[in-house]
Amino acid sequence: MPDYEFSPASGDRPRSWISKQVLIVLGVCLPVILALAIWVGVLTWRQSSMGATDHVSAIVLGRCLTYTRNMHPELRNQDCKKILNTFTSAFVSKDPCNITKEDYQPLIDLVTQTVPCNKTLFWSRSKELAHQYSGIQKEMFTLEDTLLGYIADNLVWCGDPRTSEVKEEFCPYRNENCSSTATSVFWTVVSQKFAESACGTVYVMLNGSRTTAFSKASTFGSVEVFNLHPDRVHTLHAWVMHDIGGVERDSCLGSSIKELKSIVNQRNISFFCQDDYRPARFVQCVRHPEHPSCSVLM
Amino acid sequence: MAAQGCAPRRLLQLLQLLLLLGAGAAGAQWRGEGTSRNLESIFLGRCAEYSSLLLSPAEREKNCTAIWEAFKVVLDKDPCSVLPSDYDLFINLSRHALPRDKSLFWENNHLLVTSFAENGHRLMPLCDVLYGRVGDFLSWCRQKNGSGLDYESCPSSEDCENNPVDSYWKRASIQYSMDSSGVIYVMLNGSEPKGAYPVKGFFADFEIPYLQKDKITRIEIWVMHEIQGPKVESCGEGTVKILEERLEAMGFQYSCVNDYLPVKLLMCVDHSTHPDCALNSAAASTQRDGSSLYTDRGATLTMALLMALASGAQMQLEPPLS
Repeated sequence: MPDYEFSPASGDRPRSWISKQVLIVLGVCLPVILALAIWVGVLTWRQSSMGATDHVSAIVLGRCLTYTRNMHPELRNQDCKKILNTFTSAFVSKDPCNITKEDYQPLIDLVTQTVPCNKTLFWSRSKELAHQYSGIQKEMFTLEDTLLGYIADNLVWCGDPRTSEVKEEFCPYRNENCSSTATSVFWTVVSQKFAESACGTVYVMLNGSRTTAFSKASTFGSVEVFNLHPDRVHTLHAWVMHDIGGVERDSCLGSSIKELKSIVNQRNISFFCQDDYRPARFVQCVRHPEHPSCSVLM
Repeated sequence: MAAQGCAPRRLLQLLQLLLLLGAGAAGAQWRGEGTSRNLESIFLGRCAEYSSLLLSPAEREKNCTAIWEAFKVVLDKDPCSVLPSDYDLFINLSRHALPRDKSLFWENNHLLVTSFAENGHRLMPLCDVLYGRVGDFLSWCRQKNGSGLDYESCPSSEDCENNPVDSYWKRASIQYSMDSSGVIYVMLNGSEPKGAYPVKGFFADFEIPYLQKDKITRIEIWVMHEIQGPKVESCGEGTVKILEERLEAMGFQYSCVNDYLPVKLLMCVDHSTHPDCALNSAAASTQRDGSSLYTDRGATLTMALLMALASGAQMQLEPPLS
């Protein structure tokens, strides 16, 4: 009877050879496939639970991704998950009053961002106006327009030795009993790096409606000014802004600015000052369009 | 309001062009940008941030995980079969009260709107509302044949009407209009060559029809002209007239202002030395008396520096108002 059957019959030499080959291949591949499947499964599970974190972590991660994907695609190869982990490692499970600069060093080392020369804008007691200005003049960078400043702006966070959680409530305020909080040390550390990396002509927006426009107690006056590198920064240009319809308490002619000038000159950096820098004045005028100092010829 | 919500048309067109060029090699299927990487994390982060920083204490109980779960049902659907109504549950979970007199509708001036709105503090355009914020600048779709997300490309309106992103913005726009109350503001671009009011567009088709007459006191239109730009249309002219007549026919009280001053002042930040931005003589002299130039190298250098700054400021690229 002609052998037209194709179903395997035992004892047939070619067929058992094929079966053996198939068995060997399966024997090797199946465990690999299984391992792969488990690995993918774990990854997917981790991916999906990536979002199930505390509030601060969710915000920081979301901001980091928005910043590096939408706003500054030149930073798209920054690993936001790693940045988040390095950030939280600085303070979780630690005494919330005893955070050190070294705690944040891994984060500082991880995120490198170059602000173009002549585009650094410091601010002191004028945060809102400085940000409104840099929001319009998008090529200018305040600290909060850099990645590290952006992810943390307006947030409060701390750790606790009793847990590994990232907390945003019941965090201690900075005072004489608690001098090195997670947030205060963070801002000191990133401000220092921000100032160190600045180059060319740098700008600072100061508030002339305060008693002193420049104060050595401020972050600008205690950290940033002293970390400008004379090899990189040749000029500091100050804008002393006064509230529209407000009191003019200090100005470029005042003694606090003289003090700033002397500090800066001693570091071999030139200093200029201007009261009510016009483009920033326009930003202020948006809220006070009827004020005399905002009258625009139509 | 432009398609893709708050994402500027020109930017998207550029991205689409780049995508097309890249896609030519990769064989991408659609004309629109592919699904955004880490979509879920960005979405959840924005939801968390918006809830904690911008909502009132009473509304802060938004469950971002539930909102995401409601949103992501569209990620299982054929990318050309997603309807605005597919986002109904998402909208129901994420909607919140809109403050009176703070709604801002717009066409062709995204950057100006964002700057002026001040993150929802001065005015609250759709991208400063929770259900607009979470999707802003993002893109998403399922693969045509398969269950995963398509990271290469997603259908644009030219590919098919019922695509996930367009349907999202249609649904969000409808809700935004329905929840708006008090004085309604509309910012239009009077330097746009095709006309300040697109007669077929998001504002025309998905916002105006859903404005609630009983909640709205009046509608105020601002027709802004670019500084150094052409005055293509002003109040009462061309497409603006069409809009005015439409609103009147619908029974709305409306007014129209050319170059609304606070927005104009904002435009002047970038053009502070332009004649259109000159302060009048009284103000200018106050400025001069009050201002002082303090230098360690003499007045001439200061003047040179200031002129350099001024010309540098003038050389800034104007924000693309489209």
